[in-house]
Amino acid sequence: MTLLFISFWSVMIFTSIFWYGFLLFYVGAKGGKEIKEMTRTLQRRADDERKN
Amino acid sequence: MNLHFIDWAIIIAYLAGCMFAGIWMRRYVRGVEDFAVAGREMDVNLGIASLAATELGLVTIMYTAQLGYEKGFAGATIGVIMALAMYFVGRTGFVIARLRRSGVMTIPELFEKRFGKGVRWLAGLFVVLGGVLNMGIFLRLGGEFLVNVTGMSRESHALEWVMTVLLGLVLIYTVLGGMLSVLVTDYLQFIVMGLGIVITSVLVIYHTGWNALVQQLWSCWDGSAVGVGQTLKSHPFNPLDKSNFGWLYIVWQLLFQIAVVTTWQTQISRVLASKDEHTAKKMYRRTAFYFVGRFALPGLWGAAALVHFSYNGGLPKGLDSLTAMPAYLSTILPIGLIGIVIAGMLAAEMSTDSGYLLTWATVIFNDLISPCVKKPMTAKQKLLLTRGLVLVIGLFLLFYGLWYQPPGNAWDYLAVTGNIYLASVFTLLAAGLYWKRANATGAYAALVLGAVGPIAFLVVNMFVPKEKQIDPEVAGALSFGLAFAGMIVGSLLTPKVELATEAAK
Repeated sequence: MTLLFISFWSVMIFTSIFWYGFLLFYVGAKGGKEIKEMTRTLQRRADDERKN
Repeated sequence: MNLHFIDWAIIIAYLAGCMFAGIWMRRYVRGVEDFAVAGREMDVNLGIASLAATELGLVTIMYTAQLGYEKGFAGATIGVIMALAMYFVGRTGFVIARLRRSGVMTIPELFEKRFGKGVRWLAGLFVVLGGVLNMGIFLRLGGEFLVNVTGMSRESHALEWVMTVLLGLVLIYTVLGGMLSVLVTDYLQFIVMGLGIVITSVLVIYHTGWNALVQQLWSCWDGSAVGVGQTLKSHPFNPLDKSNFGWLYIVWQLLFQIAVVTTWQTQISRVLASKDEHTAKKMYRRTAFYFVGRFALPGLWGAAALVHFSYNGGLPKGLDSLTAMPAYLSTILPIGLIGIVIAGMLAAEMSTDSGYLLTWATVIFNDLISPCVKKPMTAKQKLLLTRGLVLVIGLFLLFYGLWYQPPGNAWDYLAVTGNIYLASVFTLLAAGLYWKRANATGAYAALVLGAVGPIAFLVVNMFVPKEKQIDPEVAGALSFGLAFAGMIVGSLLTPKVELATEAAK
């Protein structure tokens, strides 16, 4: 039973390290693009409001 | 001090970048909606970064490492349960889909549509009370980490200064840019924090060796190592063992984590800032596994700290289960890397503080003050008031964090204070969204009864000796049971009320 738990926690810990490393690059790249998109939309809205 | 010039350069560069990005976003804030929910323009990946950064603070790292120190790897069980709860809610849309569709800014706002103004106000009060008390120890725990890992002197009041400076920086960009600044700084902090966590975890495993760590952790539990004795009182791998969490605690946590992911206002504010309900659900599913690491990785550092000190003459004087991990890290992190790790931990602390400050200020403004104001306020006045509230909560936290010492371990304090509103608000949300018979009487009963257990835990445990104190799982489970009972009995004993408006239906 203890061996089963040790295996379980080993998988959880090593997968977490891998997952955190992966997200660093994946979310890093995609999130940056989304910030650009969000600020563009907010700027457009502000410009539209000013025109109206 | 353990810091070299290179470490300081890394930390200062990170802080400057963060402040610049946060202040830059101020230009896009035109009203309370932009300030509180980023104009509802947040997409999936930014949502993942923000949710992960807000929910993984330095306080989280401290209490999860404490769990690792006291309960071994099994301390991360709560993270596994939380990940399951996140995935379940992300897959089914339980609560969050309907909540996002309703177009509200806070949870209590939904209660007004369903149960009336009074319930909204009382629920807002409980949300703020539980939330601000919960946040009360964030600064102290964050400061403890920084003081211990850098080796700052306690006599020079370094802890208090670190806390004040940290909070001051967070307040500047949160007050100016609101959720827009919080999202962008969260994104930066997510990256720096992730880097710090991965580097530290790899170093910890490299330093002790994986097999040696597992074997020595076991020896700390069974007391077989010569000259070490039994330094660990809980089974390090089996959470169901009676020396560890045990069944009752696990059952309470199952319920508690479902309530957290559907009700905790800082998490829900990301749901409400999402473009739509599908974005919110996707964000939950993709962030789910992150919560395993949120407990497992700092838990690994805590367990490694236990092994390190147990095999090296015991815990030095002045350290305890909470401060052992940063003290241990200061012995294994080399120059340059310690700067990156501290920047990462500062990122964790700042993203959490900013997200929480903004959330509670929004609830106070939206649900406690707005319903009582008769003369409509201008957009400028609303914005000014919300900014002022962020500032006031920040000052309260500074003073509360300086003198309050939580009873028991930090995780239990956080879970129980969160429970002040989690049990009752979760009951109101679930019943309000899925049970037509639920009414205002049931809602009032659930709110009041749900707060009884946690408040009794906080008050009684301050005055009675340790052996007579209320267990956190008893207080927590009791609050859920009482809130459910209050809602069911209160609603059934009073006449059925037809929902008046389309919004309420």
